[in-house]
Amino acid sequence: MAAYSFINPFDNIIMMNDLTRVSFTNPEKILYPGLELKKSRVIEYYIRIAPRMLGFIKNRAIVMNRYPNGIDKDGFYEKDAPAGIPPWVETFNKYSEIAEREIKYIIANNLDTLIWMANLAAIEINITLSTIDNYETPDLVFFDIDPEPPCSFDNVIDIAFLLKEKLDELNFRSFVKTSGKKGLHVVLPIIKSYNFNQTREFVHQFGKFLARESDLVVSEFRNSQDPGTVFIDYLQNTPGKTMIAPYSLRAQPDAPVSTPLEWKELKKGLRPEEFNIFTVLKRKNDPWERLLESKQSLEV
Amino acid sequence: MIRGRDYWKVNSRWKCNEMAKDNDRAKPSSRPVWSGSITIGLVNVPVKLYTMIHDQAFSFRLLHKDDGQPLRYERVCIKEDKVIDWKDTVKGYEIRKNEFIVFKKEELDAIRPESDERIRLDKFVSLLSIDPVFFDKSYILVPDRSEEAYSLMMTVIAQMGKAGMGKVTIRTKEYPVVVYEYKGSLILTTLRYAYEVVSPGDMEELSGLKKPGKKEMELAEKIIKDLSGEFDITEYRDGYKDRMEKLIETKMKGEVVVAQVPKKEEVKELMVALQETIERLRK
Repeated sequence: MAAYSFINPFDNIIMMNDLTRVSFTNPEKILYPGLELKKSRVIEYYIRIAPRMLGFIKNRAIVMNRYPNGIDKDGFYEKDAPAGIPPWVETFNKYSEIAEREIKYIIANNLDTLIWMANLAAIEINITLSTIDNYETPDLVFFDIDPEPPCSFDNVIDIAFLLKEKLDELNFRSFVKTSGKKGLHVVLPIIKSYNFNQTREFVHQFGKFLARESDLVVSEFRNSQDPGTVFIDYLQNTPGKTMIAPYSLRAQPDAPVSTPLEWKELKKGLRPEEFNIFTVLKRKNDPWERLLESKQSLEV
Repeated sequence: MIRGRDYWKVNSRWKCNEMAKDNDRAKPSSRPVWSGSITIGLVNVPVKLYTMIHDQAFSFRLLHKDDGQPLRYERVCIKEDKVIDWKDTVKGYEIRKNEFIVFKKEELDAIRPESDERIRLDKFVSLLSIDPVFFDKSYILVPDRSEEAYSLMMTVIAQMGKAGMGKVTIRTKEYPVVVYEYKGSLILTTLRYAYEVVSPGDMEELSGLKKPGKKEMELAEKIIKDLSGEFDITEYRDGYKDRMEKLIETKMKGEVVVAQVPKKEEVKELMVALQETIERLRK
């Protein structure tokens, strides 16, 4: 199959791409200087991970974290669709009270949009905890287990299991992923019958409970920067706030990936950097494959 | 390098054309090409020089017919038949067919005229006495924190119908120039050297022209008088350029993606990944 179709140059179009509507720009640009990884590798990663990622990010407002000059240079958040957005990229308009104007969020419901974002050097892709058909109603409850040095990843694993035990006890099915940085993310898929105040309070309650169980855990934002603690961050459970998408790359030197894991994979000595642009594509199963089908009630 | 420059040229011309279409005027340059002073004896008028002439000819890129990709120019040694790096080149002057004198860069630099940032005017002539055949390229002079002196010079030569004659070095070339007033501005026009312009007297066909008769002269004069008018350059349009612009516009509208697709190794790899993923997503 030819990559390009070619039509008589004196007649009409010069050429078009059969496979994607995206025109790649600067594919040779180095985005991870430590690894000498080119933008083309980042795009390729997103192309190859798309079958696992697209179902999850579908119909969710996206906030891109772009690093056009590589991860060692300043990146920037981009909520609003950038100028020159192709007509085929879906958007979702939402009035922002903070910005006092409509924000045009990108919706990535197809492969081309994901590739288009990768071509913009959107290394990190963040998604809302609700879908655009019901923006104020979360379908995910998000526990962000966020350690403060000198806490180790082993400590984080311990706390995650402490949380899982409690959730299991109450018959909640929980899913875990690495944040790609130092923490772990635990997610509960829920039926769309609660508001963000309720989910935020739900997570906060668990944080308070864990803080009583473990000396490491802090449940309040004011303590979140205390050295050697693990904060159960409940604050992202808010309309418009986001979570790093499963399988999103992170702008960290090892090109780590926020990777969905089986609980049994979480063992002492595990290093989150093991899950990166090189290794994640080789993983056989997607532990989050059935996540969106496992919606549960928050009633105990 | 050639590729980048050409691309820019094509684009900037296109923009110029857009402007020109709106009001029959080329777009002013944003940056001066030269700055320095007009000097007349001991008088100095600091000025900046802006390009006045924008060539609006269309240029095309040469593409490979099979895949539409732009072609790159390379320097190929005719003996070894291999591509030569810029750093391995020297300049040669062809004295006879295929016989060259070779110059080092230092040798050429040593005799190159130095730009001393002066437009030296040493004579004022009647503007109308300059034969247009010598006019080459025009630049707009603007005052460089010298508004009063500039205005004085412009006003006085305009009133007297004079043009200042002199010379200037722009980049590495020395030009004879005239400076005169046009539409409230001083204009500098570079001139051709005498040896660059063919003298009509050297044309054989012109040597034996007969004097026209009185009757014929009267008739011809009448025709000329009937067709007399004011000079207005905007009455003329380049029909080819108009048709070309229209053609480009039509092609652009027809959902034509003028693909600047870089056909690099990286992109080839992406195409493979795309094919595989599209297959998987189909299942």
